[in-house]
Amino acid sequence: MRGRRVAIGVRLMLIVAGLGVAGFLYAFPLYWLIATSLKGKAELYQSITLVPRHPTLQPYYSVIFERGFWVLLKNSVIVCAATVVVTLAVGLVITYPITRLSVPPGLRVGVLNWALSLRFLPPVAVVVPYFAIVRTLQIYNQPIALIGIYSLFNLPFAIWMLKGFLAEIPIELEEAALVDGANRWTSFRRVLLPLAAPGLMAAATIVFTFAWSEFLFALILTATPNSQTFPVGVQGLVTQFEIIWNDMAASGVIAMSVPLVLMVIARKYMVAGLTFGVIREK
Amino acid sequence: MSRLVAELPVPTGTKPVGAGRRRRSRQERLAYTILVPALGTVFIIVTIPFVIAVWQSITSDDGTFIGLRNYSRALGNPLFFDALRATGLYALIVLPTEILLGLAFALLVHRAVKRAGLRATLYVLAVLPLVVPPVAVGVVARLIYAPGYGVLNYVLQSVGITHSEIQWLGVSALAMGAVASVDIWQWTPFVYLVLFAGLQTVPKESIEAAQVDGATWWTQFRYIELHYLRPLFLLILFFRMADVLRVFDHVYILTGGGPGTATQLLSLYIYRIEFRFFDGGQAAALAVMVLVSISILYSLVTRALPLERA
Repeated sequence: MRGRRVAIGVRLMLIVAGLGVAGFLYAFPLYWLIATSLKGKAELYQSITLVPRHPTLQPYYSVIFERGFWVLLKNSVIVCAATVVVTLAVGLVITYPITRLSVPPGLRVGVLNWALSLRFLPPVAVVVPYFAIVRTLQIYNQPIALIGIYSLFNLPFAIWMLKGFLAEIPIELEEAALVDGANRWTSFRRVLLPLAAPGLMAAATIVFTFAWSEFLFALILTATPNSQTFPVGVQGLVTQFEIIWNDMAASGVIAMSVPLVLMVIARKYMVAGLTFGVIREK
Repeated sequence: MSRLVAELPVPTGTKPVGAGRRRRSRQERLAYTILVPALGTVFIIVTIPFVIAVWQSITSDDGTFIGLRNYSRALGNPLFFDALRATGLYALIVLPTEILLGLAFALLVHRAVKRAGLRATLYVLAVLPLVVPPVAVGVVARLIYAPGYGVLNYVLQSVGITHSEIQWLGVSALAMGAVASVDIWQWTPFVYLVLFAGLQTVPKESIEAAQVDGATWWTQFRYIELHYLRPLFLLILFFRMADVLRVFDHVYILTGGGPGTATQLLSLYIYRIEFRFFDGGQAAALAVMVLVSISILYSLVTRALPLERA
């Protein structure tokens, strides 16, 4: 009996230790980021302190206004919002027929497989031709170039997520509307869309966060603050000759706060999105 | 409280369609009218770059045909093999670590944490790292590893483990470790979430029966749970491998590929050839080779993925 209690005690300690170490490894880096972002400039040149001596929001002010990053934030929001609209619109156009109309199963499988294969297209492999295309079309350094490419790269996620959401809505509801004399467009707009709204919101949120995080294409296809997105600005603070640690940290906090806040809305669907529906909320 | 489960496809026949033949063909026509323009456009947008890449790789800047010269230059560049080696090493560090840690954590929480509220909290906490922009994670890593301000050296010195500054980003092996640690930090929770969901699909009866028979936790895992997790391991491995080939952001921020070429992964290497050496031809040849190898790899593995494609 006593041996067993000891064994349980040891197990409990292992569990607490496991969770504790993991918690520390995740919390401390984030703490250090936030702590650094709250330090004044003078404090950076003294010896390192784990807690800011005189916490200040000055770095945030410096990043957003003095360095003019609010323009980059604005660009990011525009690019991401437009990407969401384009991706979902194209995604719906592709998923509506394969989930709501009776089509040969082969077509449905073909479309889904093709979308899946796009997921494995490494961006860096198409960076070279896209750069050439964007220059030829004279949309270099313009948000439209990013919107197009982000929409393309998010389309596989959108197709698979929307397919999951649409397939769950009973087809009878739409059929009832059709019997009552509504045409396809009306039943799509008045019956299907409202029912799919929560799923669309989730997909929109996830696409928005992906687009928000994108860095490689933004780095390559933009050159001036007119069209640069926020991650490119963050990168500029990191790779310059002398790093201003508190400004850099503040920009990092801003960059991660948007997706973290959005995840409160879409957290349930995130894993489903990342695994193409293999892992689902039941 | 809803719970997260793995939804594995069950082989079924085609769904019965209640509609008559005439209606079906009308629906089919509508489907094609919607699908063909949309899919066609996307298909063209996806295919054109590939054609251009091939074209760029076999012509010089003024458009004259130069055969496979760019390919032989790309393959003759020793830096290319450094990049392959770095990518391979990165994958060899990152994938097993993430899978083992994720598995250990999934098992730990599955066995030890029974309270639904705590499980839900852990779920939310595990989702969060996945959505942090890699650039921001790179910034965090900078704040930890960088010389001068890096907090890791500060902690190690104040605890008394080391007495002088360690150049985490200045020594090849350490820099690779630093870059890999960022990936592990960000993606282990993904493995955890997938495997934890997989563990929820294991029938309670078989576990209980095994426990009655006196199975230890290891035999339980080895003979029951592992069976249910197997397709998910494949899924994780496949998705993570595709992601390793895309890794760019946090490495660019943290080391920029250095010191030397120690952390210059394939994606950084192609970027460098195109935008630092302005060697479009060689970069295009590299891009074509990557695309072709990915396509081959993809067609070999995709059938085995446990995705519900119907």
